[in-house]
Amino acid sequence: MTYGSWICLLSPFVAAVLIMFGGTNLSRRVAAWIATTGVFVAFGGAIWAFLGVHAQPGQVGEYTRAWTWLQSGSFSVNLELLVDPLSTVMMLIVAGVGGLIVLYSIGYMDGDPEERRYFAYIAFFVFSMLMLVEGGNLLMLLVGWGLVGLSSYLLIGFWHEKPSAIQAAKKAFVMNAFGDATMALALFILIFHTQSLSFGALSAPLSGSTANWIALGLLGGAAAKSAQIPLHTWLPDAMEGPTPVSALIHAATMVTAGVYLIARTHAIFEQARTIELIAAGIGALTLLVAGFIALVQTDIKRVIAYSTMSQIGYMFLAVGVGGYANGMFHLMTHAFFKALLFMTAGLAIHALAGEQDIRNMRGLGKVMPFTKWCFLAGALALVGIPPFSGFFSKDPIIASTLNIGWYGYVFYACGLIGAFLTGLYTFRLWFLVFPGEPSPFVREHYHDHHGREGAWTMLVPVGVLAVLATVGGWIQWAPHWEPFTKWLEPVAPTLAAAVPTSTQETVTSILTVLVGAAGIALAWAIYAEKRVEIPAMPAAQRLLENKFYFDELYDRIFYAPAAAIANSLRTEIEEPVILQGGTDLGQTALDAGGAVRRIQTGVLRTYVFFLAAGAAVLVLAFLIAK
Amino acid sequence: MSTAHLTTILIWLPIAGAILVALLPLSKYATGSIAVLVSLIEVGFWIEQASNFHFSRPGLQMSEQAKWFGDLGITYHVGVYGFSVWLIGLTVVGMAACLGYGFWVGRDRPRAYFALMLLLTGATVGVFASQDLVLFYAFFEAMLIPLYVLIGVWGGARRMEATVKFVIYTMAGSLLMLAAVIAYGIHAGTFDLVTGPVSSSRWLFLGFMVAFAIKSPLIPFHGWLPDAYREAPPEIAAVLSGVIAKAGLYGMLLIAIPLFPDPTSFYRTAILGLAAATLVYGSLLAFRAPDFRGVVLYSSLAQSGLIVLGLFSGSTLGRDGAVLQMVAHGLVSIALFLVAGVVERRTTTGEFRLLGGMARGRPMLATLLMAIGVISLAVPGSANFAGEFLILAGVFQRAWWWAAIGAGAIVLAAMYMLRLISAVLHEARGSTVGDEAMDLRAGELALVAPLVAGLLLLSAWPAAISSHSFVGPWPKQPPPGAPK
Amino acid sequence: MNGPATTWYLALAAFLFGIGALGVLVRRNPLIVLLSLELMLNGGNLALIAFSRHFANGSGQIFGLAVMAVAAAEVCVGLGLVVAINRRNLALDVDRLSELRG
Repeated sequence: MTYGSWICLLSPFVAAVLIMFGGTNLSRRVAAWIATTGVFVAFGGAIWAFLGVHAQPGQVGEYTRAWTWLQSGSFSVNLELLVDPLSTVMMLIVAGVGGLIVLYSIGYMDGDPEERRYFAYIAFFVFSMLMLVEGGNLLMLLVGWGLVGLSSYLLIGFWHEKPSAIQAAKKAFVMNAFGDATMALALFILIFHTQSLSFGALSAPLSGSTANWIALGLLGGAAAKSAQIPLHTWLPDAMEGPTPVSALIHAATMVTAGVYLIARTHAIFEQARTIELIAAGIGALTLLVAGFIALVQTDIKRVIAYSTMSQIGYMFLAVGVGGYANGMFHLMTHAFFKALLFMTAGLAIHALAGEQDIRNMRGLGKVMPFTKWCFLAGALALVGIPPFSGFFSKDPIIASTLNIGWYGYVFYACGLIGAFLTGLYTFRLWFLVFPGEPSPFVREHYHDHHGREGAWTMLVPVGVLAVLATVGGWIQWAPHWEPFTKWLEPVAPTLAAAVPTSTQETVTSILTVLVGAAGIALAWAIYAEKRVEIPAMPAAQRLLENKFYFDELYDRIFYAPAAAIANSLRTEIEEPVILQGGTDLGQTALDAGGAVRRIQTGVLRTYVFFLAAGAAVLVLAFLIAK
Repeated sequence: MSTAHLTTILIWLPIAGAILVALLPLSKYATGSIAVLVSLIEVGFWIEQASNFHFSRPGLQMSEQAKWFGDLGITYHVGVYGFSVWLIGLTVVGMAACLGYGFWVGRDRPRAYFALMLLLTGATVGVFASQDLVLFYAFFEAMLIPLYVLIGVWGGARRMEATVKFVIYTMAGSLLMLAAVIAYGIHAGTFDLVTGPVSSSRWLFLGFMVAFAIKSPLIPFHGWLPDAYREAPPEIAAVLSGVIAKAGLYGMLLIAIPLFPDPTSFYRTAILGLAAATLVYGSLLAFRAPDFRGVVLYSSLAQSGLIVLGLFSGSTLGRDGAVLQMVAHGLVSIALFLVAGVVERRTTTGEFRLLGGMARGRPMLATLLMAIGVISLAVPGSANFAGEFLILAGVFQRAWWWAAIGAGAIVLAAMYMLRLISAVLHEARGSTVGDEAMDLRAGELALVAPLVAGLLLLSAWPAAISSHSFVGPWPKQPPPGAPK
Repeated sequence: MNGPATTWYLALAAFLFGIGALGVLVRRNPLIVLLSLELMLNGGNLALIAFSRHFANGSGQIFGLAVMAVAAAEVCVGLGLVVAINRRNLALDVDRLSELRG
């Protein structure tokens, strides 16, 4: 099974390298298929690893070491992979969903002049993501963590002639670099106290404040990568990248890495329970804020992006209260349905020649029925309507908050309000885009692909994901049937406080479905039937449209001061003092040389005279001294 | 051939080559070819040295000692430790690339140019191999002379100003060091670095430290740096920041720290503070620099601060990380300056407001610049990341805030390096970027690609350096009153 | 000890040296300057030999021989320069040969 994990890791890497060195010798089609094959081979490796773990129940995991990556004195870190229940789940999701999305990209990116570069990047991303989830110690995890940030930067800025895309890419990278930095600080603390970066070191007993600081550093990384408040502002902008990228990186895999990180390092978070609850609080806050902002967005991808933030908020809530399996389960179903939503949105965007404004898309369902039904499956899964997958994964999260103390009730309320908002914004999107007669814009711009809604490479993955979004949740129905939780039990056992009673579970399920349905109903009343007017609250509207002014705030308190300090260092210190000082020093030296130069007359007589005079002075001096 | 001679060969082969190309009245092409050939043979000898070096054995290896000024106790004593091997490797590889660049662009007055470049190579290797203070000083000075000429003759429009500043700063440092060398030697009765006793004189320590801080450089001793790096030809700027600056840092590691343990701990906090200030100051200035070289030169300044943090952290992690980072940053900055030269040759400028959009249709330039850029900003998994990680983990053991400052500077590094990348490669095409601005030519690729390949290899296995530089503790702490 | 006292020799040496020095200072023809230089050297030589005899130590005489060799070499170079200057049709005047002015 360890071979499986290495195949899984390396095949996308090999694909990326092949495409890079192949360059223009490869046709675009070949490059695309190399990437796709690489990722599907990785999926094969993931299955191999999964079967291996499955065959050995009770074993907590197996490490394989390639070589010692970094060593200094007694501190050493291996390049090693870990195959255990948690990593195999992530490998399956990443390589599986990744494979489908790369396949989808073949159709989506067809005709782009730099298609090869795209496929090299995306294969590299899959490699990095697998590095992250398979990494057998915290440093390898951090390496994968940084490399996914890099490939995300490359892919967001793929259309590099668009200034907005480059800005978004830089913003994403810098925010993630901030997260990387806090994670690195956490690792320094860990090295200081345990001289090790193995996952086992996290279980070492540490003093309360040490554990808190380590957990806080890791949480900073997790929040940055998973776009949680306050490090979330990069994600909506990241929608500047190609849509399959949004589906793969900014919905299904990379942004959920924070959840994986907390589940993976739960030992330290359990030592630092306060920080873990802060993680839950951040999740609860994000799911509300993002849900509200999603209500007013008009760009189809941005609505889904805010929805992603909101759903990751649920996952943070889950892992924060200690329900690691719940969080991971929602991560999985979310990967299915959110990738599906992005890819159906991509079909629409592709068919409408790049249009992303939902106000122009009315009646699209008439011309794109397949897209419409697939989107509906994804939307129902997102809202959590049974029997779609979201129902099975979201309800246990909300229910698990009930037994942890008074703040649990706050989280519970947030979860329910979030479910309502999810119904509202998702079906706002649905009612604005799909039903009804096609708008003039749609009539004018819609073009099909040889009579179909898209190339087969695009339709097949969408279909597969639609099925997964529907049935993917059936592998677990808490509290009656819990194989997923059992599977993760050896590595990330759910905390006792996060296990609700079955009454709580049932009541919560009913409540969640009801509020979700209420959200849908309200969306229907407002956007389909137009029976209800949107209440006129210009202040709130403005607040939401400006996304709570986070961007402006960060600009004001971080970027602008840094730029101002840098500028004033340049104009106040570097140029006038250091550079001018050097110039003055040089000038003084030159002037002094110029003054002394006059003595050098070139006339032999003067030299001899000075020589003689000097000798005379010396002789006199000797005589006097005597 | 005994491997003991390898060190001596590495020092004198390029110097012999320098004399050869200076004397032979050959054509430009032939002169350049001979010089490049000599530098490649030099690389070959280094590979021979590295493969014969016993990294697990403590102490000096491949050493030779001969009487030089017998009555003063000055000897020709050369030899290498593990970390010296890596720095010599950086020197010979970097010099080969820079010499190749000079050949590629066809510098005029080739005999003088190539002779000086080879002389510089030999002198720099000498610095990294000397085990006698006077010899070290002699090579340190010999390294500077070719640089004065190279900047002053082949530099840009304001080259005289840059040269004068460079001469004044480095001379001031050298004289302080000379005074310190003499005072130490008279006091200790020997100039030998291996057997020399430790000293507790703070003044001597400061004499050495100021000299090294000018060379590295640290603020506020960096007044020569912006002009020199901007006005020098790109390959000389590459040598300066990639190799020569490392000689200053190496001096701290080889001389200042082991010979002066008490003053080191006395001034530790002050030096760490200066290093941290350099790191932040350089990063902030790089973030607002208006041109390609500006970003690279201030990032070099910042990196120098970072490496000093590691050297003076007093921990194994910081020390190993510092050596790794010296090599990794050396390769990065050589590659970056060469790419800066490539860009300037195509567009006649390095100013960001005139550049942009070079990625379209120039895949090799884009790929290489992107690769070097992200390695330089220490993306996790890169050799520079490994180095910075060790340095900061090491200095964390001193106090947490050093590591926090370092981590903050790494975020700034991401900001300035991405700014550089997108200002050159991305967005709208700059006004000076014409269609005739080609992608990398084969010769340029052959110069830059090996450096990047080296960086990628180091990224795959940073332990190659971090665990093959020191055996046992360093400083080696010779017993007080060691034998003379 | 035979002959005059050492003081006389030294006085003669100083006299020779003085004449030579004066010549170097006041004359403008390089040939005469060279001649005067020879006088100065021989003044010095005489002093060396005188001291050598006074202290009964051979080193001074050896020095004297060395100075002679130097003087011969110097005359060669100097006369060569004078010829070279002449061949370039430059004025044989040391005050006008001030190319090395700083």
